[in-house]
Amino acid sequence: MLKTLIEAFALISTWEVIIAMVAASVYGLVIGSLPGLSATMATALLVPVTFYLSPIAAIATIVAASSMAIFSGDIPGALLRIPGTPASAAYADEAYAMTRKGQAELALGAGVWFSAVGGIAGVLSLMILAPPLAEIALSFSTFEYFWLALLGLMCATLVARSSPVKAIAGMFLGLLVSCVGIENPGGVPRFTFGLTDLFGGIEPIPALVGVFAVAQVMRAMLTPEPPPLPRRKFGSIMAGQWKLTKKYHWQMTRGNIVGIIIGVLPGAGADMAAWVSYAMSKRFSKEPEKFGTGHVEGLVEAGASNNASIASGWVPSLLFGIPGDTIAAIAIGVLYMKGLNPGPTLFTEKASSMYAIYLMFIIANILMIPLGIAMIRIAAYILLAPRSAIMPIIMLCCAVGSFAIGNNMFGVVTVAAFGVIGYVMEANGYPVAAMVLGIVMGTMVEQAFVTSLIKSDGSILPFFERPVAAILAAMAIGALLWPVMVWVWRKLKPAQTAAATGR
Amino acid sequence: MRLPDSVTGSFLVVLGAAAAYGGYILPPVPGQPVGPNVFPLVIGTGLALCGLAIVFGIGHSFEEEEELIPLEDGQTAAIPPPQGKLYGLRALLPPGLLLFYVVAADRLGFIITAALMVYVTSTALGAKWKLALPLAALSPFAIHLIFGKLLRVPLPAGLLPTPW
Repeated sequence: MLKTLIEAFALISTWEVIIAMVAASVYGLVIGSLPGLSATMATALLVPVTFYLSPIAAIATIVAASSMAIFSGDIPGALLRIPGTPASAAYADEAYAMTRKGQAELALGAGVWFSAVGGIAGVLSLMILAPPLAEIALSFSTFEYFWLALLGLMCATLVARSSPVKAIAGMFLGLLVSCVGIENPGGVPRFTFGLTDLFGGIEPIPALVGVFAVAQVMRAMLTPEPPPLPRRKFGSIMAGQWKLTKKYHWQMTRGNIVGIIIGVLPGAGADMAAWVSYAMSKRFSKEPEKFGTGHVEGLVEAGASNNASIASGWVPSLLFGIPGDTIAAIAIGVLYMKGLNPGPTLFTEKASSMYAIYLMFIIANILMIPLGIAMIRIAAYILLAPRSAIMPIIMLCCAVGSFAIGNNMFGVVTVAAFGVIGYVMEANGYPVAAMVLGIVMGTMVEQAFVTSLIKSDGSILPFFERPVAAILAAMAIGALLWPVMVWVWRKLKPAQTAAATGR
Repeated sequence: MRLPDSVTGSFLVVLGAAAAYGGYILPPVPGQPVGPNVFPLVIGTGLALCGLAIVFGIGHSFEEEEELIPLEDGQTAAIPPPQGKLYGLRALLPPGLLLFYVVAADRLGFIITAALMVYVTSTALGAKWKLALPLAALSPFAIHLIFGKLLRVPLPAGLLPTPW
């Protein structure tokens, strides 16, 4: 263990990793603080850069940028009432109310401090949960993997803030996209329409950049620009944070735990964690009437929660290749690219790389405090940048970045196409995150499905025969049928009530 | 771009049916009970069923309407954009410009194509020429420096090669 830890230290203490981490932190802070640019988009735009880095430096950039972006989304939320990232939306109103009461420093300080604490709690969960789960996972056969992957996809649809049927449809769309190409059980061109560019399939990364970045630029074309930030001078950012920690230690712990649990669930990311924790904070508060008037309690809990979910989202990603959230979905792509194929064996064969990832998370969260304070101080200048100057640069990065993935123009076409798909889906209530999970997990689901069918000689029964497989199957099928059951229940209920009143 | 559920649902039914048919006609692997056809068949069927459910409004009651946060004092409200009939088509500008990049980059070169893209996007988002012009002139060089020079992405030189 000590030897592995020393090896991990050696892996991360190179100039390349240090520079990559600091640069990605600054980048994450800037992108996260700009309204309309999410942490997922920041990570997606970073992927082409990771091609040119060593595996550890590549992962370091993803870890640092995503953690920082989730925190810095709080800055415009507190100062402008416009959340920088969806993960800050839950408490943007509260933070802004504090700013109006003259407590901007306390609100922003709580954002930095409790995000860092939450982030570290998330890493601890990753360190504690992942190894024993990996041992269990080593005994899994393709049957269990199939159900687990399906359950992961289903979780993503259950937690979507839209119609579950539309979320399931989005997931199927993603799986359909993953069918394209010759990488299939028969090795035949499938859905390629004779286009050689499609033989290699549709890469997840350009698709992700399209749905998250291009679609956002498309939306910006039709929405009015947010108002400019009023100038203000900040006092001490960290003053009073220790007092808050002592006063709200239980809320902070609860936020961390909820964040960790939501992070581990596939598909439910930092934004869900923040919403749930904020609601819980209000529900169990001794002073619920203060919520909405500029009360820091909800900020403590939700801020701790959304950052905790970031690290714990890596648990299913590293163990099974099932992304905990959209950021982890991108990270999985990078892990595969860099030869660190997700799976339980990663913990035994590449233990030092695993420890290096843990250490990077801890360092990123410690680094968040000084860099975050600096970012809050210069936020007034960065937020002055008009959207008409930022969006064109994002577009250019999309074009060049997607070209860089395969050094061919087809990547750019993919980005454009998925921009339109993402935009139309979002506008019509189809969650794009479900489709993204489908694209990322498609090959894995198909492999597990077809290999299992070959093993069982085409029979469905063995899918339910092993005890763990049967439990996972029951859960996955339950999740699949749940929206239909609720719909039937709601249809029957008024009929019963009408019959009862009629009597 | 908000379409009625019946339209999007019907589209999914057609797409699912096409996917299932496309899977069905794929050649099987000799001597093996399952091949490349099974997965598209399952997905296509699932997609078509979801499409049908959406057409019939199943699950619609779960949808949450997006909450709009009203502006408060101290914030200047942005001027609401003019809503013409073709206003929604502006959203197609970014993917259109990306396709323009695909067609033009090799001939015009990265710098010129990128400058045109930046200028058009910036102007469409309401920038005055005082911002759009310097942005279009400088940002392609900055991006080229990062991607072309530092990360060695082969960006086409075309009519205007970069000094490095």
